Amino acid sequence: MRTIRALTRALAFGLSLWSLTHLGHAEPITPARDDEVIETLPAASAGRDEERRLRKRLNERPDDVALAVRVASHDLERAREAGDPRFAGLALAALRHWPDAPAAPAEVLLLRATLQQYLHEFDSSVTSLHVLLARPGGERMAQAWLTLATVLRVQGRYAASDVACRRVETAGARVHSTACLAENNALRGNVDDARRSFAALLADPRMPAATRGWLMTSLAELEQRDGRASPADAAFRSVLRLGPDGYASIAYADFLIQQRRPVEALKLLRDEPRTDAVLLRLAIAGAQAASAGAIRDAAEMRERIALANERPEAQKFHGREQAMFALFVEHAPGRALELARGDVAQQREPLDLLVLAEAARASGDAAAIEEARRLRQSLGLHDRRIDALL
Amino acid sequence: MRCSDVRGFLVAACRCVLVAFGLLACASTASAHKSSDSYLQLDAGDAELAVRWDIALRDLDIAIDLDTDADGKLTWSEVKAAWPRIEAYAMAHIGIDGCQLRSTGRGLERRNDGAYAVLHLSSACTLAAPPHIAYSLFGDVDPTHRGIAKIQRPGAVIELQVLDPSHAVNGARVGMSAANVATSSGDGAAGRATPSKGEFLGEGIRHILGGYDHVLFLLCLLLPAVMQRTAAGWRPVGRLWQAILPVVGIVSAFTVAHSITLGLAALEIVSLPSWFIEPAIAVTIALAAIDNIWPVFPVRRVVVTFFFGLIHGFGFASVLSELNLPASDFAWALLQFNLGLEMGQLLIVAMAVSVLFLLRSWPSYRPIVVRGGSLCALAIAAVWFTERAANVSILPF
Repeated sequence: MRTIRALTRALAFGLSLWSLTHLGHAEPITPARDDEVIETLPAASAGRDEERRLRKRLNERPDDVALAVRVASHDLERAREAGDPRFAGLALAALRHWPDAPAAPAEVLLLRATLQQYLHEFDSSVTSLHVLLARPGGERMAQAWLTLATVLRVQGRYAASDVACRRVETAGARVHSTACLAENNALRGNVDDARRSFAALLADPRMPAATRGWLMTSLAELEQRDGRASPADAAFRSVLRLGPDGYASIAYADFLIQQRRPVEALKLLRDEPRTDAVLLRLAIAGAQAASAGAIRDAAEMRERIALANERPEAQKFHGREQAMFALFVEHAPGRALELARGDVAQQREPLDLLVLAEAARASGDAAAIEEARRLRQSLGLHDRRIDALL
Repeated sequence: MRCSDVRGFLVAACRCVLVAFGLLACASTASAHKSSDSYLQLDAGDAELAVRWDIALRDLDIAIDLDTDADGKLTWSEVKAAWPRIEAYAMAHIGIDGCQLRSTGRGLERRNDGAYAVLHLSSACTLAAPPHIAYSLFGDVDPTHRGIAKIQRPGAVIELQVLDPSHAVNGARVGMSAANVATSSGDGAAGRATPSKGEFLGEGIRHILGGYDHVLFLLCLLLPAVMQRTAAGWRPVGRLWQAILPVVGIVSAFTVAHSITLGLAALEIVSLPSWFIEPAIAVTIALAAIDNIWPVFPVRRVVVTFFFGLIHGFGFASVLSELNLPASDFAWALLQFNLGLEMGQLLIVAMAVSVLFLLRSWPSYRPIVVRGGSLCALAIAAVWFTERAANVSILPF
């Protein structure tokens, strides 16, 4: 019996080893049968025929604004869901009839700005939005102001972001404006004011679940930056109780990793779609927990990075993730520092500065520490995690 | 063995097989997390140019509907039937100054982000320096698409060009550092360097020779191997083979067992936390040492060794995460690591058995070597257990 057991196990093991060699390898395919499946295309949520029909119709009438916006929004949604930037490319192509911002219809311009934000082309996004908002009637587009406020915040331009937040209210979205300002306040360290604002907004029982989740996530991040682990933990948990939330799951995983609770982070992300952001956290938490699965996650992430880097400008889209991978998985602080420097030239969310500070500290580079300190100062960012490092 | 055990085992075995097939299924779905790229490799000779061009089937499907039955799966017959359209579409979107390209072959390739059509093209021409490549592939489908061209000329470093379909002619060169070229000139179209052959073998050997706990466990098991129980009490064995036979049994059981769990853990089929495994390894040493002094094992040593070996396998697996085994050659790297472990283990066993065999007739072998040695091992194991269970450091190793 023991022999049979050992043999069967060995067989299963050998089979899985064999299948593993077929993962992530560039190798020739030699089909044996006509009905052999060479490639499985990404799932089409709206039905493949329907998607094709829409795309075909758009090819015939590329100037159909409603159709173009419909196709592009759908593709952007898919890019976000699957973490697959190819869909963002398809979305941009759907809007190709209006290459020049001044001549583009408002919806097209807003969507293009959002796509540019997704693709980390923040300056282009701000330019598109400025063109849109400067038009007669443009100033009444609350969503455009809110997107502008968000992109400016990501760039670390809090004062300019405040201005945009206030315009969100003028354009008629009071809740979003209050939350927008509270977020900036929290980043600058007016945490008590920000906490009060979030609490007041969350006290409204009619608040839609999506908005509630967004506000709770902001609150959780505020507490996290303010060094209050248990309120942060509680806020993250209540967001995730509202339903699946990809952004919140990743933010909570980062929190758990920082709290050295990698096993919970692994559990949290186990069933999420394996986007780059998710896989990176799996690799980091796995390394922290010394879990056996960490090897594969790290190897897969390394391979994705190598593949993405065949494009010289890849680090624009992947800078933060690559810096985190170099620092927390590869333990290469010098390389991480170089990547983190490139990253903060693009985006300056607290996490970007935190990674820069950690890389500077880990590499023991006094000049880099000073540089991170100056950047934090110039933004006016309040983050006790970063303070502890600098 | 009880029936429920058999069933449980069958369920577990089926799960292993399912996991294995699950991995297979994963390998054939397109799960891309990067933007769309095509890969061109230009080999420029004196009066000829060979081009290999890899284009993702997934991208081609958007442009020219390869999936004719719209079931979301591209079969070989669909791809075969579409091939003339693929070539026509691709060739209409590339132009290299002074070169009339014609198709010389076709292929398919699987990359990390899905299946690619491989077009082999050639032309009897001399590639201009720098080459001017008119590239417009997918310009109307995905403006973020790029062509990554590597240009190889005899005796020259590889040039890299990133081709942007929205710029009609791409002539901008991207410099590559010497270090980059050194790694990329060796790789073929696959574009990936393989790890050096002996790297993980060495890691395996180093790990067992430097892993004092595994060595101590093995030594505990070997101490009594040169003695045999007779009617008149313990007696040294007369011949070497009498010592070697039980050693082979024990070492094989240990090897098979730790290979199983090392594999299962590396493949993520089974995972146990290190706070459990590390103290458990110390317990296996303590029990093996105690059994040398006062027999406590209810079954034959070889069976116990097998079960303890399962635990040690998880211990070996924990080091794997630090080794960064390459995903592309995972199985090969894991096999090397395990072979390294076995080689190191054989070395230890051979040395230990030789020394013990020479010492076996010493009158004090049992009281000093077996009992004394086992007591020492027991003491070390006890300290390790404390260290590992309480996460404190007492011993320097």
